[in-house]
Amino acid sequence: MVNRWGLLRSGLMACALTSLVAGPLQAQEKEPFRFGNGMPTSGTQALFGSDQVKAQQWAVEDINSKGGINGRKLEMILVDTQADPQLGINAVNRFVGIDKVPMFLISWSAVVKAVAPIANREKVLAINAGANSPEIASLGDFVYTAFPLADVDITALAKYTYDKLGKRKAAVLYINNESGAAGARVYRDVFQKAGGAVVLFEGYDPKATDYTGLLLKLRAAGADMVHIQGLVSDLPQVIAQMRQLGLTQRVSSYAAGYNPKIIEQLGAAAEGLIVTSLAPSADENPNVGAFFKRWQEKEGRIPNGAPYTQYTYDSVILVSKLFEWVDQKGLPVTGENLRKALIEIREFDLPMTGKTVIDGHRIHKPVYLMTVQGGKFVPLAKVD
Amino acid sequence: MVLGMMDPIVLLQIVWTGVAISSYYVLFTIAFSLALKVMQLWNFAQAGLMALAFYSMFFAFNRLGLPLPLGIAFGAAVTVAAAMALEIFGLRTLRARRSGNLTFFIFTLICAEFVSYVLMMVFGTEPQTLFPSILSQVHIVMNIAISNWDLIAVGTTVVCVAALWVFTRFHREGQFMLAVGENAALAELYGISAKRAYLTTMIIVGLISCAGMYLFGSRSGVFPATPLELLLVAVIATLLGGMGRIFAAGAAAIAIGLIQSFSVLFISSQWQTLVLYVFLFVTIIVFPFGFRLPSWLRKTTKLSA
Repeated sequence: MVNRWGLLRSGLMACALTSLVAGPLQAQEKEPFRFGNGMPTSGTQALFGSDQVKAQQWAVEDINSKGGINGRKLEMILVDTQADPQLGINAVNRFVGIDKVPMFLISWSAVVKAVAPIANREKVLAINAGANSPEIASLGDFVYTAFPLADVDITALAKYTYDKLGKRKAAVLYINNESGAAGARVYRDVFQKAGGAVVLFEGYDPKATDYTGLLLKLRAAGADMVHIQGLVSDLPQVIAQMRQLGLTQRVSSYAAGYNPKIIEQLGAAAEGLIVTSLAPSADENPNVGAFFKRWQEKEGRIPNGAPYTQYTYDSVILVSKLFEWVDQKGLPVTGENLRKALIEIREFDLPMTGKTVIDGHRIHKPVYLMTVQGGKFVPLAKVD
Repeated sequence: MVLGMMDPIVLLQIVWTGVAISSYYVLFTIAFSLALKVMQLWNFAQAGLMALAFYSMFFAFNRLGLPLPLGIAFGAAVTVAAAMALEIFGLRTLRARRSGNLTFFIFTLICAEFVSYVLMMVFGTEPQTLFPSILSQVHIVMNIAISNWDLIAVGTTVVCVAALWVFTRFHREGQFMLAVGENAALAELYGISAKRAYLTTMIIVGLISCAGMYLFGSRSGVFPATPLELLLVAVIATLLGGMGRIFAAGAAAIAIGLIQSFSVLFISSQWQTLVLYVFLFVTIIVFPFGFRLPSWLRKTTKLSA
């Protein structure tokens, strides 16, 4: 009798254990939700791209470690674009033709613009995770952004420069690429509309290493503020050569300038530099503090272009919420239904950048202005 | 704007900075032109040597923590060793097989690309500078900003060019190099070793490339593909100076640098690189044997000399 009860107990326990183990196993065996991700992990923009990808990989890990999306794993298919439009097209053709994913994340303005026609034609949802050209808002029905476009932070910066800093004559220098030219135009238009004068508006070659001629034009122009719409590869050189020519005007840039490497390369010459950040700091959002701690623990440093990494982390969270919505509604996982999910959900509470409201093909966020003081970035102002 | 730029101080600043910036182009050009003169070789592998020079110095300063002289010596040693290996194991083999010019050209190009890809795998693709700071102390002389980097660049270039001139004029090895460059078969009849001359040439190419990359890398960001872009100027200057005219090619590099600098008075900075391609186009079409002064002017110059 005792043996029979013992056997029964053992049997029940075995059944319970089997169901406990088999449940998640069955969930894991389900087809994962897959999405593409085209980012530069090599080439001149790899400094930024690699860190942004790392944040996205962590987001995927975090989602899957919590059981995935309704029991299904999230899988990211990463393809290197080198921030090159042609390689971006190749990547998206692969997503659409071979991997057959219903959506993909994409960054760098020129790349986003290049791949937009494919997304629209194939009805695959494209979400911009880090590019800021204002033109992204008008690239078609299937191209959306999870990153604030340049007219958000650069508009705020130009207004602040005129209203609060009291600057009246600005020079706008920009790297002659898609993002640089578009951002520079926004700054020029907003500053002029505010009542200021743009005394120099000139681009430089992305391969240039000497900016003397351009900076002498700047000296002749007599600006009291200089806005440089450049990248981490050229921005420090422009500022260094500016200071060496004795030009002392205050310099501003956008989120690309929010990078510790710039302070390292410029030392005291970086003092006073104003940059934008579209993401809250660790003081304002405890998740950000934990995120940076994770960077310190895993990589021994803070990320290059920290706000971008916050956004790319959140872009994956946003992707997971779209899949979750479609799955809960029992709809087929297609680009059209994921687009419907984006429009229907509209408001997302994201861990790193907070509340995000999709407003047509744009999003709106508060802008954080940072400045270099005592060899580090410190908050200057928050512009809503 | 252009009127504002016509201030003599502004023009002098453009001249000075243009000359200073041209310094590394002069070095790359004379190295390229030397290989072309002595070895009849369009040595695109020089880009590989330049990349190797930069990254070995970068490694020495930033990873090994070597002081400046030792770091430069390390870079020079690595570059010269690579240049010798290229000559002994690569170019010599092709010569023994009597390979055509096209084979040599493709081989050197592949070498440059190969080195670039290997360095990309090892050091990544983000732009690096030799030192953490790219700022250099500035002196204001007659309202013209002259940085320490400018002085080092101009000084290094003058020393390198003068040393090469003295070496090719007064040293037997240098004279042998030029003799081999004129007619290798005839030179060998006189007992001059062409192999030795070629090896010496490659050593000099390695050393000059290293000096040039030190100057460039202490001021601007470098990634593995940068040297091939830099070499484009050397090729244009070599064509403009006239093939086989080493020092004229160096002068052409300065002229290109200055014209590029002055071009911003008339065109937007974003078009500056286009000026290079216009030069290349015009040189190939109009000056296929390089730019030379008119004969009457050359006679006048000789007479006055």
